[in-house]
Amino acid sequence: MKSMSETGSNVLEVRNLCKYFPIKAGLFGRVVGHVHAVENVSFTLKRGTTMGLVGESGCGKTTVGKTLLNLTPKTSGEVIFNGNVHLDQLSSRQLRAFRPKIQIIFQDPYASLSPRLPVGEIIGEAVREHHLVPDSELNDYVSRIMKSCGLFDYQKDRYPHEFSGGQRQRICIARAIALNPDFIVCDEPVSALDVSIQAQIINLLEDLQKEFNLTYLFISHDLSVVQHISDTVGVMYLGNMVEYADKTEIFANPLHPYTKALFSAIPIPDPTVKMNRIILEGSIPSPSNPPSGCKFHTRCRECRGVCAKSAPRTMNMGNGHTVACHIYDPESGYDREKA
Amino acid sequence: MSEQLKNNQSPENNGEQLALDDGRRVKVLSPGMMVFKRFIRNKLAIAGICILIFMFLFSFLGGVLSPYRQDQVFYKVDAANKEYASAVVNTDYRFTTADGNTLPTMVRATFNSQVKGREGNEITFTADNTVYTAVKVDDGFYLIMAGEDLGTVTVLGKIADVKPAGNKEISEELKAAAVAAVQAGQSAFELNEITYTLTPGKAKSYNLSGMSEVALASMLNFDALDAQYTGLTSNYEFCRDCETAMHAGESNFESGGTAYQLEIEDETTATVKNAAGEEIVSVSNIIVRPVVSGTALSAGYREAAIEAIMDRQTAFEYVNAEGNTEKHTIQMRGNNYIISTEQQTYLIDMYAPPSAEHLLGTDDHGMDVLTRLMYGGRISLMVGFIVMILENIIGVIIGGVSGYFGGWVDTLLMRFVDLFNSIPYYPMMIIAGAIMDSLEVNPYTRLYLMMAIMGIMGWTGVARVVRGQILSLREQDFMVATEATGIPVSRRIFRHLVPNVMPLLIVQATMGLGGIILTEATLSFLGLGIKYPLASWGSIINSSSNIYVMTNCWYLWIPAGLLIVLTVLGFNFVGDGLRDAFDPKMKR
Repeated sequence: MKSMSETGSNVLEVRNLCKYFPIKAGLFGRVVGHVHAVENVSFTLKRGTTMGLVGESGCGKTTVGKTLLNLTPKTSGEVIFNGNVHLDQLSSRQLRAFRPKIQIIFQDPYASLSPRLPVGEIIGEAVREHHLVPDSELNDYVSRIMKSCGLFDYQKDRYPHEFSGGQRQRICIARAIALNPDFIVCDEPVSALDVSIQAQIINLLEDLQKEFNLTYLFISHDLSVVQHISDTVGVMYLGNMVEYADKTEIFANPLHPYTKALFSAIPIPDPTVKMNRIILEGSIPSPSNPPSGCKFHTRCRECRGVCAKSAPRTMNMGNGHTVACHIYDPESGYDREKA
Repeated sequence: MSEQLKNNQSPENNGEQLALDDGRRVKVLSPGMMVFKRFIRNKLAIAGICILIFMFLFSFLGGVLSPYRQDQVFYKVDAANKEYASAVVNTDYRFTTADGNTLPTMVRATFNSQVKGREGNEITFTADNTVYTAVKVDDGFYLIMAGEDLGTVTVLGKIADVKPAGNKEISEELKAAAVAAVQAGQSAFELNEITYTLTPGKAKSYNLSGMSEVALASMLNFDALDAQYTGLTSNYEFCRDCETAMHAGESNFESGGTAYQLEIEDETTATVKNAAGEEIVSVSNIIVRPVVSGTALSAGYREAAIEAIMDRQTAFEYVNAEGNTEKHTIQMRGNNYIISTEQQTYLIDMYAPPSAEHLLGTDDHGMDVLTRLMYGGRISLMVGFIVMILENIIGVIIGGVSGYFGGWVDTLLMRFVDLFNSIPYYPMMIIAGAIMDSLEVNPYTRLYLMMAIMGIMGWTGVARVVRGQILSLREQDFMVATEATGIPVSRRIFRHLVPNVMPLLIVQATMGLGGIILTEATLSFLGLGIKYPLASWGSIINSSSNIYVMTNCWYLWIPAGLLIVLTVLGFNFVGDGLRDAFDPKMKR
């Protein structure tokens, strides 16, 4: 459907994306502080690729996804689609017209479908609204989309409550696919599903990616799923992107202590192999009052004096592998300090 | 789509064999249909619906079918015996004077005292310096004569002169007789059956006075049978001649040059006919008077009554001027006869017990209670629905705006809601009712005003519910998805938000309807709501606030109370049923 000539170009460039949520208190809603949900997140996404975004609960993965799509306005930074589209600079009419290009699939397939509309209407509504296909062909078009998402034609007149979770997620996917998007944020699309259904949905997403040349931002805390589907992986901790690399690179050679700890938790399906788990102590600090310096230093095994004092720079370790840690920054003075 | 549906429902047409678990075998139900199916499975809800259908038919069709209007007042014929006239046997003398004037009171009083127990044929008495002589003609019939100064007789030797007094005329015969009497030294003489007296005056002169008839005293009463003869009954000569003839037992007499026939029934009753044989005057010693002042008794009626009394009957019939036969009964009470009649008085038929005509009787205004209930139902249901619609329109707009936009708009509107909530409802309604009372607002305007006030006072609950619902829906993923797919705001509100608020609204409204009907009934019961001649169930019950009605007229307030209870119950059942039906999570 999409011309293949565009493959390889950047669908999305994110530069220093920040999102702070104000904390209001008192009678008049005075702002007393901010939740630093996303801080200085930068990455680029090439067409036809999938980027996995992993991290603990509450580290800002979902906020990144929603902020990218301008569903919640960003605080600062730049989000550029297709090389030149800044969502925050568009008028509301232009924004609405651009919406079909960037879609989102939600985590909860039960909450993300309007309970009072039939499935055909849910999928076709926005298509008709944006005049993507002539009205006379809409019915056939919806049927085709449903078929490619593994839904049956006769289910068009049914209502969401008649479907299972996996089927609902297919409907959500069909709704996104029907708009012929360039880019889809998959916000933990399989975490609410059981494992067998997860596999079906993942396979569906992969099939659709090939068919429509889609670009995914795949948000998940399930590392094995990310390992399976992603081309590149970003690891987030407390609003910061701490490491970013190709999938094979990052899984073979994790650099950041947090990434190492995270990946050590991936279960190995072989009872004879001794797992070398790195147990992180403490819980994730409050994003409204993040630790000074490197945000991870409170739980980091490699923590030294500099970590608490200054925030680490993002270092390019080659092959597009970036990491934000003082250990890999020769100028940080980390090596000179005692462990 | 509907074609698609048909194909799905009849897969055999495609010649395709479907597996048992094929989804196409399962019927497709829209949420609306599912709600409906769940609803009709609820027995209570069906009972509620039946009650409500009955109420609507009763109110809206019943009012059309009822033979009576809502403000039609019914009357009943009261058959009570009412005293109509009294008759008395006259034992007092009635005086008819020759000059048409009334006899001086002194004269009458003196006569009455003198006549009692007197046997003689002549009574002489003095009153007002005049000598009166009453000559008894028969029992109860006296002619009263007064001594009258006729003139002065002066005799000087052979010269005699009679000088008339004033403008009196003295006949030559009388003059001669008077002179002769003086010369003979008599003090009285008779001439032509009239006695004259001579009383010595000054200087050899004598005052001549003669007796002249001034009045007759009689116990009989003359009644003209026709208005043109009224003059006769007070005519002295006629009365004298008639009664004289009567006492003499004659059947003819002449008076004033006219001949009359007299038909005597007994000593005290007679009828006078004129020459042509027409009955013109009835004579009787019985006087018939109307009991109610201001009414006139016709002569015919009087005659009939007198006849009945004379015949010692206890009842008589009289054909009145309209040709209707009136039944009268006579009761003796001392000297008086009381004549009663069954009078056809129309009374408002109040508090009539149930009958074939009025299945639930009549109320304190004499109106058919069943018809009032039907029209009252219209008002009660109409008030319920209109107030509910008003409340929902205001509530949905304010709650919707508040919920959808949030922020300071929400804060402002919700404080506004708080403000409205803190206005006390009943005092407000009582004040409004009192104002409308003092302005004498007509009942229809009052009805509309009341609905408006109730609507304005009651929307806050709806607003809160809608606001809460929209606040929570707004954050749902499917609303975020509509934004992400670029669906315009209006479509988001009307296609995604409103249908999801609708079930709650419908349930709220249905449950609220019962409450509104109760409120209206309460206000009307307190006399603040619907006013006569309009009816509502509450105002019908209001009439039972008096203890007589409460204890004796169950048909006035129990049916109205039952209707209110049933309707509210019906709305609540339906509301409950709808809530259960709309909420698929609630399994019974």
